[in-house]
Amino acid sequence: MSRSPGPLPTVRLDGPPSRAELVARLLILLALLFGFLVAIETMSKAIKMLATAGFLGGGDSNELFRGVSNPFAGLALGVLFTVVVQSSSTTTSTLVAVVGSGALSVEHAVPMVLGANIGTTITNTLVSIGHMRRSIEFRRAFAAATVHDFFNLSMVAIFLPLEIFTGALSKTAYWLTGLLAGGSGAEYKSPIKSSIKFVHKQILGTVEALGLEGTALGATCLVVGIALTLACLYLITKNMRLVIAGQIEAGMNRILESSGIVPLLVGIGITVAVQSSSITTSLLVPMCAAGVLSLKQAFPVMLGANIGTTVTALLASLAQDNEAALTIALVHVLFNFGGVVLVYPFAAVRNIPQRMARQLALRSSRNPVMGLVYVLIVFVLIPLSGWLLWSNGP
Amino acid sequence: MANWTQTDGENAGFADILRNFSSMLQDGRHIFDAATNALVGGTDPETIREDLFSTDQRINRTEQRIRRQIVVHGTVHGAQSFPSLLIMMSLAKDAERIGDYCKNIFDLAALAPDLGSKEDRAIIVHRKDRVSALLGDARDMFDAQDEKRARTLLADCDKVENECDAALVQAVRDNGSGAAGLALSNRYLKRVASHTANVATSLVMPLDKLDFFDE
Repeated sequence: MSRSPGPLPTVRLDGPPSRAELVARLLILLALLFGFLVAIETMSKAIKMLATAGFLGGGDSNELFRGVSNPFAGLALGVLFTVVVQSSSTTTSTLVAVVGSGALSVEHAVPMVLGANIGTTITNTLVSIGHMRRSIEFRRAFAAATVHDFFNLSMVAIFLPLEIFTGALSKTAYWLTGLLAGGSGAEYKSPIKSSIKFVHKQILGTVEALGLEGTALGATCLVVGIALTLACLYLITKNMRLVIAGQIEAGMNRILESSGIVPLLVGIGITVAVQSSSITTSLLVPMCAAGVLSLKQAFPVMLGANIGTTVTALLASLAQDNEAALTIALVHVLFNFGGVVLVYPFAAVRNIPQRMARQLALRSSRNPVMGLVYVLIVFVLIPLSGWLLWSNGP
Repeated sequence: MANWTQTDGENAGFADILRNFSSMLQDGRHIFDAATNALVGGTDPETIREDLFSTDQRINRTEQRIRRQIVVHGTVHGAQSFPSLLIMMSLAKDAERIGDYCKNIFDLAALAPDLGSKEDRAIIVHRKDRVSALLGDARDMFDAQDEKRARTLLADCDKVENECDAALVQAVRDNGSGAAGLALSNRYLKRVASHTANVATSLVMPLDKLDFFDE
């Protein structure tokens, strides 16, 4: 008689995590958040250094981003940068650092923030393409992914012209900044600034010790800042996903059983906890593909993810003295919150992106190449063409 | 045997799946007892019809809930949870099939079939009591994840299945009074015992050999 390979392990349920493990994870999270803020400070100071060194055109650091003075170029750059780094949190955090350094005005940064919202939806669209082999699954998955695309594209189509012609987003954000920062013209004092500055000085000292100065020093610090931002956000997401996997699962199960505002709140909660809207929305795609979650149920979760992800930019602004950093973070909040307020309460309005997504998914399920072409056009060709066409800078 | 030491995050969701499955087994035993009492216990089938069918619907709904939970759990926790989720898909199907066979027993009972001699009836009564006990054992064994008990249960189920097979063959060969009723009764009892045994195999057999008891 042939020997069986062995029985399956018995499923045993362990108790809750020890207090020591919870404390350790919390400390790791705090350290990563601190590291993230140091990264923002490092990027911001690096850009100032580069401007001072004359690397980016004259002595006026606003020359740095001359290329994005056209809002459509800014929008395109926001999309492209986010598609490359696969994280709207990284894009918006970087923008907070850049605006905080004074190298970029809030008004010029607004279209890039909007672009980040479009670029981030590529992640769950790519996840949905993994279901391409099974037509019915792919149709559901692709609809779930692209409803987020259509929603964000629609909101940009509304808010970008609004911002161009009225400055509604930036002006409202300035007003809110005044309320929160408590004065006009004064520097915004971040509560943990001194410790962030201290660590940044150590990083700067380490890079200087390599014998670098001027442009080389600035460029190296910028690379360090971006790398540290990516690493910290990645590790925060990974750590939090492990810590709260049970809560994420409970939240997702809750979505299956409820409607109304609950899915929206679940989307906000998960995204704030893991600091990634892509994680939240990508989790929805396989569930929609399997048919256990409908598009109607998934949509408010995605809207919640849009709101939840604005916390990252707000956190990043804590590392900056410049009020403008807070202002651009608030623009991100206003855009996403405003989008939900415009869409969610009205059934006829919130059905529009769902209908568009279903139509595209139906056509793409019959002709999968159409889905790939859609991704290429929306996330690469249009933004790339837009940048080349409208940017003024080098 | 290796212990699946799982993260606390993974336990809560999977524990819920296990609880739902356990409730399926509990409901399965309930409608088995009701259906077999209607067949050989003298209960009027019409008095238990509503309860039996609503319990069966609850079993089906629970299976659907388990399937949804499996998709969510697998999505959140990834590939590491894949084998256990496949097991649960299979087990939920076994529990649902127990419910279906109990409906078959009820449908037979509603026809008031001839079950042969007094001795034949007594054997069916004894056999159904044993299968009912096996269903109860299966639930306790699974809740405790007791491998030793699983092996005992497998042996007991195997005995019942063999007896049912022999009785079925005898009834067909004799072709006497009550042959059809006896054959179908034994067939259904055997299938319930068989699906009960499948639950036990999840504790003693590797995944690819689930439902195939390696003697």
